Amino acid sequence: MPNQNGSVYGLTILSPIIDDANATPSHDLQIRAYLAQLSTREDSPFATAPGTHLARLVVMDDVIYVGMPSCEEHLKSKYLVFESNCDGDLDGYLAGLADSIPSHLDAIWSHCVGYPKRGAADRQAFIAYMKSCQLETTFYFAAVNDKSVPDTLRALQTQTAVADFIAAHQGADPATLQRDFLDFAAKLKSQPAPLPGSMGPHRAIKTGGHNE
Amino acid sequence: MSNINGKVYALNVITPMKPWKTWILRTAFFVLAHVKPLQSDLINLSFIEFARWVIIPRSAFPCLGHGQQQEELKYDYLLFFSNFNGTWNQYIDAFSAVLSRGLNLIWRWSEKFPGSVPVTLFKEYIARVQFDTDYYYTAYPHATANDLKSAHVVQSSFDSLSAVAAQSTPQQFADAYLRFVLQVQAHLGETGEAPAVG
Repeated sequence: MPNQNGSVYGLTILSPIIDDANATPSHDLQIRAYLAQLSTREDSPFATAPGTHLARLVVMDDVIYVGMPSCEEHLKSKYLVFESNCDGDLDGYLAGLADSIPSHLDAIWSHCVGYPKRGAADRQAFIAYMKSCQLETTFYFAAVNDKSVPDTLRALQTQTAVADFIAAHQGADPATLQRDFLDFAAKLKSQPAPLPGSMGPHRAIKTGGHNE
Repeated sequence: MSNINGKVYALNVITPMKPWKTWILRTAFFVLAHVKPLQSDLINLSFIEFARWVIIPRSAFPCLGHGQQQEELKYDYLLFFSNFNGTWNQYIDAFSAVLSRGLNLIWRWSEKFPGSVPVTLFKEYIARVQFDTDYYYTAYPHATANDLKSAHVVQSSFDSLSAVAAQSTPQQFADAYLRFVLQVQAHLGETGEAPAVG
């Protein structure tokens, strides 16, 4: 199944955006304005909902003309692209989104054609809607394809802690080493895993041009 | 708008293809998916966390009724989404230098593709067909693809050592600990803030 690589699912959704000449600002601009103020850190909706490794939302205004001798053509609709790399099966992931962040989903997708009237509160209608906009991935690559988001966050936490432990115990005698390691392992196990989206840089600026 | 979050860059590319050519590309992707050694360069580049290619047949853009007009297109389209570490220039340079044959196989079916070598024309083409990301989230913004792979190696070795630590004598533990350090020492690079770019 091309959408799946190991235990990771590559979800690609193209939702047509409502084209309403009377809407001010236009629906695509309203989506962009909402996305611009949305946190990308641990309070991101995708950190709140379970199972997202990486995700992006993109307003696709049109296809791109590459020049003569190809034909110039244009889309009749603008599309909201949702690209997500997530854990588990698709229904479970979409249900997790609907249950965890319904207000964000409604704020974004209510500008799209055919979005359920009751929004994500109608979980089955939401899942059916998202699937109706889904495109099959032709080829999907994942560098790590057998670990969940909590597994990965836990491993990154362990990696940092182990480096510190090793540095602090160079030359320690066997009995001390064993005692300290057992304490360390017990403490590490009892610690909660880092929150998704945390541990990133706190930067006031957002860079975004093509060619950084 | 931001194509960057922490150490990851989100690249979006769309290119037109004559419909009869998309079947050749589908075949190429089918072979690439089923002959794993062909993916070795992609894996060894080791700065791509996730990437996907999606062929959209010209009649397959979602049309949901409610007054939405069906698209009338001459071309099928190839979408490419990549989540990579480093800068745009580093990425395209590495793609061109290491994966040129593979990239040519994938994009030569797209209109006006100049080839991935020489890199100047390739960069001009990618810049032309790229569109920007409005919102970009990653669960681990401080980590690169190599950090993820290394962290899982450390976790696995750590779990193995933890499982035997309590039952060992101090000397047995010290020996096992030494083997553990040898296993993980190349995987302890520090994660943290990405270098500033722009």
